[in-house]
Amino acid sequence: MDWQAFSLSIELAAVTLLVLLPPGVLGARWLARTRFSGKAWIEAFVVLPLVLPPTVLGYYLLVSLGAGSPFGAWMLDTFDIRMTFNFAGLLIASLVFNIPFIVQPVQRAFEAIPENLAEAAAVCGLSGWQTFWRVELPLAWPGILSAMVLTFVHTLGEFGVVLMMGGSIPGETKTVAIAIYDRVQSFDLAGADRMALLLLALSLGAVAASFFASARLAARR
Amino acid sequence: MSGDQHTARALRVDVAQTEPMPLHGRFECAAGELLALVGPSGAGKTSMLRVLAGLMRPQRGRIEVGTQLWCDSEQGIFLPPQRRHVGLVFQNYALMPHLSALDNVALALLHLPARECSAQARRWLDHVHLSLEQQQRRPGALSGGQQQRVAVARALAREPRLLLLDEPFSAVDQMSRQALYRLLADLRSDLDIPILLVTHDLNEARLLADRLVVMDAGSVLQEGPPEHIHRAPRNARVADLVGIHNRFQGVWVGPSGKAGWGLLKWVSAAGGDNGDMLLEVRDKGKIKPGQPVNWVVPGDGILLGADGIGQALEATVSDARHLGEITLASLTLQHDPQISLRITLAGPQRRRIASGDRLALRLDPALVHVMPLHQRPPGLSPD
Repeated sequence: MDWQAFSLSIELAAVTLLVLLPPGVLGARWLARTRFSGKAWIEAFVVLPLVLPPTVLGYYLLVSLGAGSPFGAWMLDTFDIRMTFNFAGLLIASLVFNIPFIVQPVQRAFEAIPENLAEAAAVCGLSGWQTFWRVELPLAWPGILSAMVLTFVHTLGEFGVVLMMGGSIPGETKTVAIAIYDRVQSFDLAGADRMALLLLALSLGAVAASFFASARLAARR
Repeated sequence: MSGDQHTARALRVDVAQTEPMPLHGRFECAAGELLALVGPSGAGKTSMLRVLAGLMRPQRGRIEVGTQLWCDSEQGIFLPPQRRHVGLVFQNYALMPHLSALDNVALALLHLPARECSAQARRWLDHVHLSLEQQQRRPGALSGGQQQRVAVARALAREPRLLLLDEPFSAVDQMSRQALYRLLADLRSDLDIPILLVTHDLNEARLLADRLVVMDAGSVLQEGPPEHIHRAPRNARVADLVGIHNRFQGVWVGPSGKAGWGLLKWVSAAGGDNGDMLLEVRDKGKIKPGQPVNWVVPGDGILLGADGIGQALEATVSDARHLGEITLASLTLQHDPQISLRITLAGPQRRRIASGDRLALRLDPALVHVMPLHQRPPGLSPD
């Protein structure tokens, strides 16, 4: 069992979730409540990471952020920050890859809230933020919860983008999915077996738990 | 209560817009008065309410409540709903499904310290007769009538300067409806603010309102006390909207020779030649001879029996329906069978009526209301 790879994956998933959640929820709410002509394009871009092969996404990220690219060179010269083949690169790739997993379910959750509840809140004297915290967020909570679980589990199992952007540096960019691949490549099937089973159990448990929680929340309404 | 105080808290509205939907109207509502906005669906009643609540900004308009200016497009003033102190009861109540009845009402009281907030919320729910146990329930676990009372309590907790009710009775059963009528009557005497009720139910509007505002296709067609609108609708459309069944066509002949009276020729809708059927009715001197007119007569202007005031007419009962305590009957005129009248009978005389009967009736000339027929369709303002 490669605990180092495992803890790196957990760390990556947690940081991804932490960074992506606030802008993801606000962006999803904005998409749910705003109507304008170019909205379909924005929604298409949000879904793109879901339909694009991970290697294609990883390739574009590598080309645009690598030290050879203008932006990557500038970041390196100015801030001495390298954005590929390290944890930062892994995080950037993971953030981009997870945008649809946060935005889509949360947007649907906000869209399901009747619009006149926000109007009723305004007539009651609640400001926009008060309405968001006291009315919209609690009502969208089951959707947000399942989006969080999906994002977390999805990051644990990420392979293609991570490999393109991070390579396989032990302790730095070697996640559990890559570790499993390495084990299989070197015919250590027993090692791969244990890690695969752990990942399977963890993913299934998390998703099932989120479904139970959503069902309980829905039953209270 | 002095008249000054009433005007000091009165609502004055003047709205004119063409986009996104046409909305035109001008009306007032004094404090303590209940005004009903009536009209078919799509008439703009709810839009008018949204403008008053601050949920929709009119293209042009001015809204004043007492000395406060809520909206004036000329000065660029438009107060958001948060700054208006409006109590609004939504059509489907718009209660927060994740909050208890108590917390729903507390939403309107967030400016108070937490303890006082829930004490006040409880007081308002007590006021609308919701038990302590019901106050802890979420809206989903309350009946339609109870949900509505929570919505009313939430609107009142806002300490509104204007109370707006959007079709409040549409989704509750007859029993709850009666209870809510009583609640509304109590509110009117307790609160001294203008109350606006949107409804498409005319009986309800007549029962509850001091004054009606009749709307159609986004425009206010007529405003006034219900009995006045029923006696003297401004035009044929208003007569139809307020459910006046006995509306007929005619031609104004001119003065009858008796001062203050004129002659009206009754014409059937099919326009067939039925000879001259002339009625002598009140003449206000406003209509030119030869002018085509619509005219109406309210139910209490149709009298049974040959003797008494008014012109006697022969009629046949074409249909009589005995419903509970009243009877609805259709009569066709002997003189022109294409003309039919509808009457509602109550009391002992209704028993004597059956389909096929012939009877004599009279129209009370004082209650016949004549409206000149304009070429311009109603509801279109000249500008």
